[in-house]
Amino acid sequence: MTRTAFIPALALVAAMFAAGCSSLPSAGSEPAQVASIDPKVKFKDGDRYLGDLARALNMPRETVCKELGRYDCFSDAFRIVLGGVEAPNLTVHTPLEEAALTAPIALDRAALHVCTSRVRMDREDPANAVLYRASASGRPDKAWMETTSNELYGVLLNRDPTKAERARLVGFYKDVATEQGKPNPDAASDWVTLSCFALASSLESIFY
Amino acid sequence: MTSLGGDRSIGRLLASLALAVGGMGAGAVWAPSASAKPPAPAAFCQTYPDSKSCTTGFAECATCHTTAPARNAFGAQLSERLAPGTPRPLSDQAFVSALPSALKMIEGLDADEDGFSNLAEIRAGTRLASAESFPKVMACAPDQASKSGDGRWNVCGYDPNYAFRKISLDFCGRSPNRAEAEAFRKIKGEAAQKAALGEALDRCLVSKYWLGSNGVVWNLANAKIRPAFVIKSGANPGPVPLGDYDDDYNLFTWAHSGDRDVRDVLKAQYFVRRVSDDPVKLEIIPEEEVKKRGRATAQPVPADKRAGLVTTRWFAASNTMFTAIPRTTAAQAYRAYLGWDIAKMQGLLPVSDEPHDYDRKGVGAPECAVCHTTLDPLTYPFTRYNGIGGGYTYDDDRLKAYIRGDGPNVVNAPKSGIILGKPVKDLVEWADVAANSDPFAMNVVRDYWKVIVGREPEVQDEEEFSRLWRGLKDPARYNYRVERMLHDLVLTTAYGRP
Repeated sequence: MTRTAFIPALALVAAMFAAGCSSLPSAGSEPAQVASIDPKVKFKDGDRYLGDLARALNMPRETVCKELGRYDCFSDAFRIVLGGVEAPNLTVHTPLEEAALTAPIALDRAALHVCTSRVRMDREDPANAVLYRASASGRPDKAWMETTSNELYGVLLNRDPTKAERARLVGFYKDVATEQGKPNPDAASDWVTLSCFALASSLESIFY
Repeated sequence: MTSLGGDRSIGRLLASLALAVGGMGAGAVWAPSASAKPPAPAAFCQTYPDSKSCTTGFAECATCHTTAPARNAFGAQLSERLAPGTPRPLSDQAFVSALPSALKMIEGLDADEDGFSNLAEIRAGTRLASAESFPKVMACAPDQASKSGDGRWNVCGYDPNYAFRKISLDFCGRSPNRAEAEAFRKIKGEAAQKAALGEALDRCLVSKYWLGSNGVVWNLANAKIRPAFVIKSGANPGPVPLGDYDDDYNLFTWAHSGDRDVRDVLKAQYFVRRVSDDPVKLEIIPEEEVKKRGRATAQPVPADKRAGLVTTRWFAASNTMFTAIPRTTAAQAYRAYLGWDIAKMQGLLPVSDEPHDYDRKGVGAPECAVCHTTLDPLTYPFTRYNGIGGGYTYDDDRLKAYIRGDGPNVVNAPKSGIILGKPVKDLVEWADVAANSDPFAMNVVRDYWKVIVGREPEVQDEEEFSRLWRGLKDPARYNYRVERMLHDLVLTTAYGRP
């Protein structure tokens, strides 16, 4: 997929899964989740977030996310924005009490960076692929999409998807299958990349 | 259903607790302040002894004030009805007599217009002048509880699976993998689950994420040590090397880990080195080695004059600097280890006949004396410890060097002082009183509570928070061992209820 077509797809996937995440009461046949009476949801912070992604996607932590190919996304680029501290030079002794306005942007950048890198690695070295594995039938059929959806949830969120969650990911494929009215030759890998991004940037992945 | 107050930090109660501590321990050394009403916190609680604001017997200043003496909306309502027609300022006696009836008159009003009457908020312990603070329902209704049991998270009680994930993230810095989470889910029975949570915690408490350089414990010390790279000496020095704060971080980490007494942050007369950072290994430095250190990293205060982190070279370099009566140093020690920020009028325990203003700084002016009646006697024990000027040494005659700048009377500043209403002969005794105090224990637990639970302890947390800090002091429970306290912290409802 070209860069210009990738961006609308990215916006779409973000909106779609944001909507999905907000509908906590029910996901398919799952029992409705009662809202917390004393919510204390915590931000994972950039260090733990990237560490979790690195372990999940079998990528070295030192290289999992580099801004401009040089600067670690947490330590060098977004440390304070993503909940870190830097006392000796910046006198930021404790994490920001309120999330910075740019924190979601930084997190999205990191998530997309990591997912893009992992899928590229999978395409270059299929024998050691983690997320993107070619379909046995040679084309991205429904069975492949469901299997891949299960793996994405398992790898990134440490659980199986509900039926509704899996159906939503599978249904998303059609949005990347075409590019400007023409078949997208990279539809399968783009779908895996964007699905990875959707899960890696979900509330469940970022907060605990 | 249980109704408890929300959005009200126990931290904010600390200032009022100061009055309790001082009132019980000091008595005669207290003096009423000209610009405040010292009897008010107690008189308020005599009227409302069951209020959740009055667990210490003293309401906080913020009940009626923004920054004393300025009043908030509740204070303004009260003032209008307090002995109207009587000339101001009211005497303490007139104030105390008039207070109950004035309070009664405004019980039905709603000072912050949040829909809850003043009386409802007084009972719940919520903030009377903040519309964002109001009584909340803090327990599940029966139907919520039954539905919650079927959901992914049990939001109506302690959820061990949730706690297991949190322990891994909070103390090890990573989510449990799927195999670990599933293995934990297979554990049945409360006792077995608690044991497994304890084991998970133990594994994390020795991790680099927890104890390493820039780890969680290290970062807890940031606001206490306040490092500045530009003046760091020792390893990885800055351009103007004055002191090495690695000594401070290592001692802090040592006292907060293992089977060690956390009071050593104020009482240790030794230093600690970091032998390795992964795995984390710390050890006490033999005193002979400390004495042999070179100019850049020497710790010149003799061992018997040391008081943990408040007498290190770094603490003196970054706080005392060149001052005769180092009020900044004492204020930082008070803030860092007792949780009271005098600049925010917290922990004020006025001492009669103070401040003496030995160094001609004008601190006796009424607007300054409000704080300096507490701060100056708190500071005197620091006056024999040199900062940058004087080479970080201990010197009984130190103040003679300041006569030229601060006047001849500066040498009369004593090395004895008063902390928490108790007279102390020197800084070592000062630190001993501080380390054994309730505010110290509260501050230790509160630091961890904020990081681990994710917010300040609030009114609904009062029982669990109180149990933890009291337990920290109790020789039969945690005996000042942070790790023992943490084992109970992760079993609190505040931690384990999603």
